[in-house]
Amino acid sequence: MNENKFMSAFKANAIWLVFIAEIAIFYYFNPKFLSLPNIVSISRQVSYYGIASIGMTFVILIAGIDLSIASIIVLVNVVCAHLMMNMGWNMWIAIIVSIIMATLIGVLNGFMVATIGIPAIIATFASQTIFRGLSYILSGGLPIPDVLRYAPEAGLTGDPTLGFFARWSLNHWSLFPRQGIGLIPVCAIIMVICFAIGSFILNKSYFGRYFYAIGGNEEASELSGIRVNKMKYLIYALSGFFAGLAGIIVLSRTGSAQASSLVGFEFEVITCVVLGGVSVAGGIGHMSGVIAGVLIIGSLKSGMVMANVSEYTQMVVQGLVLAVAVGFDCFSKKRQAS
Amino acid sequence: MYELDEKLKPYYMELDPAKRLAILDAMPEDDTVKFLRTVYNNRYSDHENRGRKNVDWWLWRCICLQQLCNKGGFFKKFREREINTIIVELLMNDSHESLMYHEYRNVAGRYLSTCRSGNYASRFMGFRQASDDEKVLKACEDIWQMSGGIAQVSGFGEKMRLWCTAFHDELAEYDAIGHEEYIRLDNQRRK
Repeated sequence: MNENKFMSAFKANAIWLVFIAEIAIFYYFNPKFLSLPNIVSISRQVSYYGIASIGMTFVILIAGIDLSIASIIVLVNVVCAHLMMNMGWNMWIAIIVSIIMATLIGVLNGFMVATIGIPAIIATFASQTIFRGLSYILSGGLPIPDVLRYAPEAGLTGDPTLGFFARWSLNHWSLFPRQGIGLIPVCAIIMVICFAIGSFILNKSYFGRYFYAIGGNEEASELSGIRVNKMKYLIYALSGFFAGLAGIIVLSRTGSAQASSLVGFEFEVITCVVLGGVSVAGGIGHMSGVIAGVLIIGSLKSGMVMANVSEYTQMVVQGLVLAVAVGFDCFSKKRQAS
Repeated sequence: MYELDEKLKPYYMELDPAKRLAILDAMPEDDTVKFLRTVYNNRYSDHENRGRKNVDWWLWRCICLQQLCNKGGFFKKFREREINTIIVELLMNDSHESLMYHEYRNVAGRYLSTCRSGNYASRFMGFRQASDDEKVLKACEDIWQMSGGIAQVSGFGEKMRLWCTAFHDELAEYDAIGHEEYIRLDNQRRK
């Protein structure tokens, strides 16, 4: 392998080397970091980050942004819990309705961005505020607790052990019994499936081509025959859909819906995506990088908790990581141009 | 390199497909016009049959070539297969070299016509617009990626010779630094 090929291979996989280095550092300071329970715990923790970051990847690829995903997740939490707990709806119907609602919020974002022409950052910030407020109104500002315990399932209403959320919750969400040999959390499996779908869309479908094209040069895409506005609707709808799915995972993990939760979550997701090499200028990025970005942030959070780093310091570190990731993207663009 | 017939100049200088068709229709029907009509129909038809309107299939394939240039080695086989398909679609094997050269320049010209728009090469989700210099540099990089870059990466340099020459020449005419920048990018990648 000549030097040039080595360097390009190094650059393409640098993000994975960062991930390995991070693991090595945390392992050096605390060998329990690589213990099986901690790995399982990290995989549970990153699952909803991962799922939400797929939609965000699509949005950032077209040089857009979606600041409403945290509010969508919270609203899905509240609505799903409200439908099951207060209205006695079947769990599956409540989940489907909640995810459809999340997708429609994405369509609304698409309408504001593509049809009205509001800048994405403003349109989705407006959505963020609106739907966070709606979550407070619907829940009365109070948490809806014990969703795991009372989640009704067809024919098994009120059974805490057999209900879907009870079986598939934080403590039981495993493909195999907790005591068994395989401890793969179902939420992690859902994340892997979602990443596979996201990767397929980007690499193998013509939609993926369109996403890259719009991010690279929107006007040329339009001239070549791509219906850019329709694509924007689709992308924001997908972002809403994946946020909705992440919302269901969060609800099944926490077992309660709280309108005040996940403040600033959208920035953590943006950090994962940008850290994974998706350019904020649009048109550049791969799903494999985003997976690495998600794992890096998940490990960082877990490692800092294990190292007894205070919550406030964690916020500082995460903010720095976002600044470094975006700064690196801008710096490399500037260097390329000079 | 390929002198442009005065009679055909208005046709090749025009970027709008509808106006080009009008010019073509106004010309007396001969073998050249027949060939131009075949190329026109090939270029402005939806090869994927997705019911799209106002398609510029060749412009779309330019964008595809640029994307393929940026794809990693993992997709090498897939890339080679697709480039081969594009070479056939863009009639790169055709013997009417001079006519094809000018048609390719027209495609490059149409792409470059979008490179002065407000959104082009903007940063931070469109919040920071690019300066004129930044736009020119980005346009150079785009044009190089969809011609010289992809030819180098794929090893189809010979098959894409006319295509690359046309794009290079169009870029050189687009901006004073176009030629130098194209050569610089070419040499940089070769190293």
